Amino acid sequence: MVLELTKITKNFGGISALTDVSFKIEQGQIFGLIGPNGAGKTTMFNIITNMFLPTSGEISFVGEKISGVKPHQITDKGICRTFQNIRLFSQMTVLENVLVGGHCRSKSGVLHSVLRTKKQRNEENVMHAKSLELLELVGLFEYQDVIAENLSYGQQRRLEIARALASDPKLLLLDEPAAGMNESETDDLFDLIKKVQKRGVTVLLIEHDMPFVMKLCDRIAVLNFGKKLAEGTPEEIQNNPAVIEAYLGSEEDDQIA
Amino acid sequence: MLDEILNPYYLQVAGFIMINIILAISIYITLSSGQLSLGSAGFMGIGAYTSALLTIHFELPIIVGILAGAVVAGIIGILIGIPALRLQGVYLAIATLGFGEVVRIIFVNWESVTRGSIGLSGIPHMGRELLRFFKDIGFDPEMMGLKNNQFVYLLVLLILVLINIVLIWFFIRQNKSRIGRAFAAIKMDETAAEAMGLNITYYKVLSFAQGAVLAGFAGALYAHVLAYISPADFAYHRAIEILIFSVFGGSEVIWGAVFGATFLTLLPEALRFISEYRYMIYGAILVLMMAFRPQGIIDASVLNWFKKKSKSKRGTNHGTRTNKNN
Repeated sequence: MVLELTKITKNFGGISALTDVSFKIEQGQIFGLIGPNGAGKTTMFNIITNMFLPTSGEISFVGEKISGVKPHQITDKGICRTFQNIRLFSQMTVLENVLVGGHCRSKSGVLHSVLRTKKQRNEENVMHAKSLELLELVGLFEYQDVIAENLSYGQQRRLEIARALASDPKLLLLDEPAAGMNESETDDLFDLIKKVQKRGVTVLLIEHDMPFVMKLCDRIAVLNFGKKLAEGTPEEIQNNPAVIEAYLGSEEDDQIA
Repeated sequence: MLDEILNPYYLQVAGFIMINIILAISIYITLSSGQLSLGSAGFMGIGAYTSALLTIHFELPIIVGILAGAVVAGIIGILIGIPALRLQGVYLAIATLGFGEVVRIIFVNWESVTRGSIGLSGIPHMGRELLRFFKDIGFDPEMMGLKNNQFVYLLVLLILVLINIVLIWFFIRQNKSRIGRAFAAIKMDETAAEAMGLNITYYKVLSFAQGAVLAGFAGALYAHVLAYISPADFAYHRAIEILIFSVFGGSEVIWGAVFGATFLTLLPEALRFISEYRYMIYGAILVLMMAFRPQGIIDASVLNWFKKKSKSKRGTNHGTRTNKNN
């Protein structure tokens, strides 16, 4: 079990964004979290990465309770995320962005860095090699010296994934990775996420592109108004009458996938 | 000819340029993690008074006093930094400006120790102490054909230049390491930086404290170069002046701070012949600057242009040697 959420509730003042949501993600799965706008998906991401504290409930990651741990320590433990509204370090080069992602896997302090000790140089070399390998993986190798904000939208999304992977996560959280992408970009993204899965990384993603989610995910949970409506394989979800009614619309199950 | 160049007045202006460069770097380093601190005059004052009082009352060697000044400023920097860094942008600027004023008012009112607004005089002068040392070991400036005061100012300038070379080297290397990348990441997007596993508090306090240490260090040097300090030297206009060095020169790269401090220290001196108009011209240049080049004179693209130029020169001299920067 990589991630286990037990009865997560989150209230903002009087509004409850999430109510008693529980699900489990197995090692190596691609897990989809879907639901209409405002269903609480991104709130769930912020709670998993401890950017928000849940009002009640418990999160355990590889068998360890992680509620109340600082966000940067969460990354250290092996959860890393991308953002719905792309948050790259826009004035840095592509390579530098990925290097920052590897920050928590390196240790050299001020003194080692200034004196360029052997240990520090080795560490930098390893980080460079790893970052380049990740850029190769996401197809941005040739763009390594480009300033991040000059990349196309789809490239920026892939760079965010490379940056997150640089922290060696066990669990990767993707917040709407296909948003704003055209069809061929979405296909590339599909291949990329499959490759990430093959590296042994468990993936939890939020996505609105239904054909994409149904094709990609091993398991899906549906949120609606902060409550879990259903959970199951893509087929079970597609055939679940409650989901069809609440989310896909009740009139017609318009050939999904 | 040599006598002309070794004019003590020129040497002293050059010495002030060096001290101002250290102050400008102190602002640059805090800005590099995205924090606008106006406390540098306060930290400068702490460094200056610490070192001056230690050397006057306990007759400690100047170098011990200067290091103590930098350390005390750094410790206070950490203590102020931890709570203050919850603030962002202008709020942090105002809080640190307030801190600087509190420090100055303590210097004014704690008369038994600081002698109030009269200030401290009789601070051991770095150059004169060194001169005495050299005379003790049997070296006389006359042997080099220098007058005593020429020798003193030249020696002080040389020490300050060396200090600056070491500091610039230090921060260029730090900037190219994971520490520098962490500062830059926090400056660009704090939330994303935290999500990437950066301990934001640690790096913010680190850069704030480094700025405080540098300002304290510069203040201590100032005290021993001038031999006289008063609270007015560390008032808020000093903080603004230091900020302008860095912003005018370009706050994104360390060379911007170096250029800004040099140019803006020289400008009023160079404009001395039109005495009453010189600060007007100074002000006009700043206004034009903010209108036409808000990022400062020197930025990354200017540096790249210089690098390319020097590279192509090297290329013609040494055939086709490829130069890979990392």
